[in-house]
Amino acid sequence: MEKLLQIEHLSVCFDAPAGTVEAVRDVTLDLAAGEILALVGESGCGKSALCRAVMGLLPANARMEAARLSVAGTDIRGLRERDMRRLRGKVFSMVLQDPMTSLDPTCTVGAQITEAVRSHAPKLGKDEARRRALELMELVKLDGAAARYDRYPGELSGGQRQLVVLAIALASGPKLLLADEPTTALDVTVQAQILDLLRDIRRELGTAAVLVTHDLAVAARAADRVAVMYAGKIVEIGRAEEVFGDPRHPYTWGLLASLPALAKKGESLYAIPGMPPTLAPPPKGDAFACRNEFALAIDYERQPPMFPVTDTHFAATWLLDPRAPKVTRSVRTGLPDAAEPERRPPAGEVLLDVKGLTHRFPLPGGRSVLALDGVSFQIRKGEIFGLVGQSGSGKSTLARCVMNILRPQAGTVVYQGVDVWGRLSRAERRMLRTDRQIVFQDSAGSLDPRMTASELIAEPLAVNHVVPPRGSLRAEAAFQLHYVGLDPSYLDKYPAQLSGGQRQRVAIARALAMEPSLLVADEPLAALDASIQAQILELFKHLQAQHGFTFLFIAHDLAAVRHLCDRVGVLYRGKLVELAPTEELYVNPLHPYTRALLEAAPLPDPVRERRRPPCRFDEAAFDRSGPLVEAALGHFAVLGGEEAAP
Amino acid sequence: MSVIKRLLAFLLSLLILSAAVFWIARLAPGDPLISYYGERAERLSPADRARAEAALGLDKPIHVQYLRWLQNALRGDLGISYKYKQNVLTVIGDRIGNTLLLGGVGYLLIFSLALALGLVCARWRDRPLDKILCKLGTVTACIPEFWLSLLLILVFSVTLRWLPSSGAWSLGADGGSAADRLRHLALPMTAVVAGHLWYYAYTVRNLVTEQMGAGYVLLERAEGLSRGRILLGHCLRNVLPSYLTIMAVDLPHILGGTYVVETVFSYPGIGTLSYESARYQDYDLLMVLCLLSGAAVMVCNMLAQAVSRRVDPRMGAGMDGEVTDRG
Amino acid sequence: MDEGFTLVGMRPAEPSRPVPDRRRRGGIPFLSLAFLAAMILGCLFCRLVMPVDPGYMDLANCARAPGRAFLFGTDAMGRDIFSMIWYGGRASLAVGFLAAAVSACIAVAVGTVCGLGPDWLDGLVMRLTEIFLSIPSLLLVMLLQAALSRSTVAGIALTVGLTGWPRVAKVVRAQVRQLRQSGYVVAARCMGSGLFHLLWRHLAPNFFPAILFMVVMNVRSAITAEATLSFLGVGLPLEVISWGSMLSQAEGALTSGAWWIVVIPGLFLTATLLAITQVGEWLRRRADQGGDAL
Repeated sequence: MEKLLQIEHLSVCFDAPAGTVEAVRDVTLDLAAGEILALVGESGCGKSALCRAVMGLLPANARMEAARLSVAGTDIRGLRERDMRRLRGKVFSMVLQDPMTSLDPTCTVGAQITEAVRSHAPKLGKDEARRRALELMELVKLDGAAARYDRYPGELSGGQRQLVVLAIALASGPKLLLADEPTTALDVTVQAQILDLLRDIRRELGTAAVLVTHDLAVAARAADRVAVMYAGKIVEIGRAEEVFGDPRHPYTWGLLASLPALAKKGESLYAIPGMPPTLAPPPKGDAFACRNEFALAIDYERQPPMFPVTDTHFAATWLLDPRAPKVTRSVRTGLPDAAEPERRPPAGEVLLDVKGLTHRFPLPGGRSVLALDGVSFQIRKGEIFGLVGQSGSGKSTLARCVMNILRPQAGTVVYQGVDVWGRLSRAERRMLRTDRQIVFQDSAGSLDPRMTASELIAEPLAVNHVVPPRGSLRAEAAFQLHYVGLDPSYLDKYPAQLSGGQRQRVAIARALAMEPSLLVADEPLAALDASIQAQILELFKHLQAQHGFTFLFIAHDLAAVRHLCDRVGVLYRGKLVELAPTEELYVNPLHPYTRALLEAAPLPDPVRERRRPPCRFDEAAFDRSGPLVEAALGHFAVLGGEEAAP
Repeated sequence: MSVIKRLLAFLLSLLILSAAVFWIARLAPGDPLISYYGERAERLSPADRARAEAALGLDKPIHVQYLRWLQNALRGDLGISYKYKQNVLTVIGDRIGNTLLLGGVGYLLIFSLALALGLVCARWRDRPLDKILCKLGTVTACIPEFWLSLLLILVFSVTLRWLPSSGAWSLGADGGSAADRLRHLALPMTAVVAGHLWYYAYTVRNLVTEQMGAGYVLLERAEGLSRGRILLGHCLRNVLPSYLTIMAVDLPHILGGTYVVETVFSYPGIGTLSYESARYQDYDLLMVLCLLSGAAVMVCNMLAQAVSRRVDPRMGAGMDGEVTDRG
Repeated sequence: MDEGFTLVGMRPAEPSRPVPDRRRRGGIPFLSLAFLAAMILGCLFCRLVMPVDPGYMDLANCARAPGRAFLFGTDAMGRDIFSMIWYGGRASLAVGFLAAAVSACIAVAVGTVCGLGPDWLDGLVMRLTEIFLSIPSLLLVMLLQAALSRSTVAGIALTVGLTGWPRVAKVVRAQVRQLRQSGYVVAARCMGSGLFHLLWRHLAPNFFPAILFMVVMNVRSAITAEATLSFLGVGLPLEVISWGSMLSQAEGALTSGAWWIVVIPGLFLTATLLAITQVGEWLRRRADQGGDAL
């Protein structure tokens, strides 16, 4: 049978100022009609470039070579722009990562869908096109399609916009949908709906899809087949159960072992050492060799070919060569059993006491949004407290109120008996400044681009006129840098010369330089790749054990929070709806929103994902009106009328 | 409600502007009597001089003079031009048509040509056409207007004798025929347009180029829309608000350029008049001219805002995008 | 071949060879920089370049065409144009740089105060600036020029500088506002750094590249303004030689057909402006890349 998409020996390079970057190297891939293939890899591995190459939408500085590149039987190599245009939308179309920019803000969403409908059917009447657009909006399950038709993109939420983008992509009934990180910018609850939708559309219309993602769990949830990419090459490809159940490439092992969702409580994560190589020019031999503890001598000399494991499962590693020694890595391939939940009242001295914190942001046009709504909780000395919430839940506002960046409109924050927003003496002010430190999400933004790592780390010491305990500020910076796992050669580097993970390490070193008692980390992992996330997560764990500081860890990633924290609070639209010891919360969630979050979060286990019912709920409709009550020992939740305690 | 508020802000701005201009103009060490009496002013006896100053109200402190001016202005009497011994409005009325013709048409030409040129450059960005236009444009943008005017006169009037070098119409032919006026307009118009065109074309080119990197352009191309269609249907729409704002804010700049060109070509318009009045301390005239320019600019700003709000829904009140993670 | 299949584990990655960045070096406008340097040096050391005293009126040789005796000819008063170009360039360039410096100082002060200050102050100052800007700048300069002083290089530079700051101030304000929200300024405030530390360590170095381009462009518009004013007869008088005042004889020269009096100073003026523009554009490209900390 003719395959829908056939790619043979495809390479893409970009001419960049730093030289030629080989973004995609010798990729061979095919896709049957109606199949969903997930393309998984870290940022910069060439997965987006591959999609663009298929669409014929590579930027002007890119060059492409392929032995074969055909879609639905048409060879699209060297096709003229006019002929490509005829195929785009009709045969294949695309969904992009950022729903905020992928719609024209000055046109109504209806007009944009209609335009897409008419682009391949110019003779279609106006009413007919409108009817078709409304049908498409129904198809992607956009609530109140008729009412949203005349809305502008700015009036829709991120999830709704992505649904509109999907409707546009489906407008001319394409056979193949290329979805480039379609859910990365969205909350898990919305993500789950969009992934389910992809499968629904495949069932109803037979649309095949290439789903590009950095998240193995997303691949497990939506894909039939999975291809793992590293440094421009596909290193492993097979059916989802094969790749997750019997991974063969060391890189896949590493990725799976770095997922907190697959680790047992208390187990440390495996963090793939080092960083992906630069591809200008790519290293000789296997690009992964220098991060691979099972590297063979030949890996440094020759690139491995694809070895078949089964008829459908292939991996590019010399370990599969008959001459290679037999090595296996024990990678957990299913979810671990939950630990016995502990029910205990929190113990220890209260360090941070937040009471009734409320803040409302004014919006233009006289409206306002309630970012925090009477949030109260206590953190005890030496505790790792996790705060989970989706975008807009108010978790960053909370961090800002705690850190004296934003004055809350109501409520108090008491730190070590000092009301941080009250009248402060000089000594108190100094204590607050030096005793609490924060690590921000965006390490690129929170480090001044014109200061070196050493200046950055020593800055809080210099600002507060602290005598450096190790002699000079530079010695202090070197010590802290060593402490977070970077060698002194990084002292004189500027943030732009560091990778995301290294920058985050510098930011952590800067926070630790003051030897704080409380460390607040606001989404410190959000901007990092999976393998780097594991590195930083382990670093936090290690540092906390060494230093014994109290840690407020704010994140949206449920698995990371579960892995790291002792107690977890769930924020929903500015309100703390549940608060419990970690395992208790994950095993016995009481509030419907917590349950929805846990249901929606994809898990890196395709067998289990297949059995899951589709989740469908209205994000805004959870009850959050009641008070936070102690439902079990140490387990607090907002319980509405219909929700009874277990 | 907002209309009334804007109107009030407009009037307040005019008031502040008039006070500022009045004050700066009176600080000047020059002798306003010269523009009234000409050379005779220097031969006036001290007594005559005092009488003349009193007659013109020049002996009072500045704020008193200003309040009197304001009183009269509110009654519709904006004073007389010392030089022309005529009501200010009459003097301006005689010439404003000429400036509207040169400046107004020039402004519209700059606006539309720059848009077209910018779009062409953006569509074929980094291709030979764009590169040539960019090089050429940069050079023209650097030539000072007055020198460009001089060169035009040198080539087309002095050497080739094709076009007249000064005035708005031929002597004797009062008002002139349309063809005659066009011939007189050709060189000044060229100078005004050529002096400003590239700056705005380049602005459009950069704005559009920025838009072409946006996600929606990629998505629309993935839908099979042609580049031209995306450019005209979407990028242009997105660029228009910023472009309109820039054009409105820069009106005084272009106006100033027109004034210089008018002076070089002795074109009887507001520009020549402003130049004369500033040079000879013709206070009342200068005052009205400044207010007129200022008012034109402010009105243009308001117009640009109104149009932008029409084109771009994000700029309307209460239509801002939802709040994403303010927390 | 089998020995290739021994397990060796991780080895340190080869350091990637730095590839020389040809494109960025290619972006430097060598020609413009060289021309500007030549002009500035020539004007500074004009005594070494000039064959005759530029102010000397050789009445026997009025309005001579360019030739062997007078390289660029003489003007209507018999002054040697070649000498006047270098001598007058001094005044023109001085006005340009002085005016740009004056406006940069005002702009940075106003922009920083607006950017850091409370909203009401920002609104008030911006509103006043808008009003100030609504008068055509030429008219404003003529007004100020009449009010402040008469016809010296410093006077002209002051007036032109006084009218040239609002555009730069707007950019400074926008930059400061943006930087104020940026992560590292928030982080620095968290550490408890004072206003001075913020300004000096974080704000100034980061908005400097963005305004450098504007300041260079201000040099250009100041030179143009001086030339225009002097040409119109409200700037430097005929006796104070500058490129603008040289051109103020243009009207007479046009009727007598002495094209060199009009063309040659104008050419130098335009070439200088062009060179400054190229340098400014280059600075802007660098600021956009944001790579000059490296």
